[in-house]
Amino acid sequence: MVTREDIINIARLSKLYIAEEELDDMTKAMDDIVKFADTINSAAEKGVEEFDNINNLRNAFREDTVVPSYDRDEILKNANDTGEGHFLVRKRV
Amino acid sequence: MAEGIIKRLGKMLDEKEISCTELTEKYLSAIESSNGDLNAYVKVTSDEALTAAKAVDEKIASGESRGALAGIPMTLKDNISTKGIETTCCSKILEGYKPIYNATVWNKLSGEGAVLLGKTNMDEFAMGSSCETSYFGGAANPHDITCVAGGSSGGVASAVGGNIAPYGLGSDTGGSIRQPASFCGIVGLKPTYGAVSRYGLIAYASSFDQIGPLTTTVEDAAIVYDAISDYDPMDSTSRGNCGKNVLSSLKNDIKGMKIGVADEYFDGVPDDICQSVENAVKVYESLGAEIVRFKLPALKSALPVYYILACAEASSNLGRYDGIRYGYRTANYNDINEMVCKTRSEGFGAEVKRRILLGTYVLSAGYYDAYYKKAQNLRGSIVNAFADAFKDCDVILAPTVPNTAFKKGSAISDPIQTYLTDICTVPVNIAGLPGISIPCGFDGSGMPIGMQLIGDKFCEDKILNAAWVYENTMCGEVFKPSSYGVSL
Repeated sequence: MVTREDIINIARLSKLYIAEEELDDMTKAMDDIVKFADTINSAAEKGVEEFDNINNLRNAFREDTVVPSYDRDEILKNANDTGEGHFLVRKRV
Repeated sequence: MAEGIIKRLGKMLDEKEISCTELTEKYLSAIESSNGDLNAYVKVTSDEALTAAKAVDEKIASGESRGALAGIPMTLKDNISTKGIETTCCSKILEGYKPIYNATVWNKLSGEGAVLLGKTNMDEFAMGSSCETSYFGGAANPHDITCVAGGSSGGVASAVGGNIAPYGLGSDTGGSIRQPASFCGIVGLKPTYGAVSRYGLIAYASSFDQIGPLTTTVEDAAIVYDAISDYDPMDSTSRGNCGKNVLSSLKNDIKGMKIGVADEYFDGVPDDICQSVENAVKVYESLGAEIVRFKLPALKSALPVYYILACAEASSNLGRYDGIRYGYRTANYNDINEMVCKTRSEGFGAEVKRRILLGTYVLSAGYYDAYYKKAQNLRGSIVNAFADAFKDCDVILAPTVPNTAFKKGSAISDPIQTYLTDICTVPVNIAGLPGISIPCGFDGSGMPIGMQLIGDKFCEDKILNAAWVYENTMCGEVFKPSSYGVSL
């Protein structure tokens, strides 16, 4: 059973605010979804313990070669606030 | 034989019946008159398209030979990065974001002279099955604009089905190419995981996402797949296409091909859809294929496995939207934590928030083993069940969706009901397999029904050939052009 407190806690971890008036609806929706997710625990299949990834990929190491990267000014163009080549978050009081 | 639009347009360009600029203008003008109804495009890139078209015209004039996709207009889903062109995932949080690099698929296609008409509508961050979670409102179905186009690649499907793009690229995490293709009566190919580079595809669930084509014919899907599938060192999960050219594998012969039909795919599917797929089974039998009926009990847990794992990956992937480096930032805040929380709360829509919360829940201490780990283990069972199935058959035939396109606004309020409609598409993504949806009939209201052919890993050639043979036999009966857009 998902409670309002669970939602408040998960929202905090997710860096989301859930407005007081949305809290009951979100709790109900999440409770339904978690009950639906819970059906895996009644599955007859035990599953594959060692399952890792679908194409059996393993780390492939390579030489650490320097290649051209992106231009700093180009990257900063997408930011809301920048200064002297940095992303800025200004202190507001 | 179903003649593909890419070859047909290419022939018109080669025989100088039309210039690439004229062709592009024709599509841009069709977009202008039809997009008000369809809402397929969220951004039309007229200037870029005409510049690219002019370059192709100049090459043709100078006698240079033209590649298959050169000069052919097309569209990209709005989660595929295009340098300098706004790419928003149809989310407020990416409003104004202009990538500084191209996705590998767009580098490949633009390198071949493809002409980008614009970016198309989608469910916000590809989370949805109706395109209605889009910040820009949903795309309409060209066969009945009171119905949804499907999702999440609803805009591409609406544009291609509505003849305002000859083809487009979408992405498929749990059915987002195949389901809207089915709803709009077109072809949608979800390639094997790793066959097409994900570099520059804005991530939803990285171990499920794949880019693929939406087209009006199987031949077109093969041409586009050949152009975009390749190994890419920029994508650490890239495998390439095993050196296969799938266009050359389209042969009008499926004698002896073993087509598997699993009971579980038909559970709860309405009679008219089951009947259309069973009719296709008969067509294949009459063409000399062998039908293998079998059971896939592992599929029973596919939906919860998919939603647990995809949301877990999404909650991690979407952690990057903090208002600092790109996109939307809230106007008023006191400290950095408040800025990040308000930015995310104002920037994400309700469905995205639900999936982030579910993902965070299943990854949090105390729940990780019961949900995430268990789902990951069951993913292994589903992978193995398909591997066993492909020992006895070449392809699996199934419905694409257990319903046809529904009325706008009728599903969005109940998330679980919406999730349940993904039952036939998610197993392919869980197992990393290729799947193609092609039209196979109409429901009582005349809306398209799609069927799905699923192959073993990197066996796109087999599913495309099986789809092509069916299309050649049945195209007059199962394909109906919509009344919108460019008629050729």
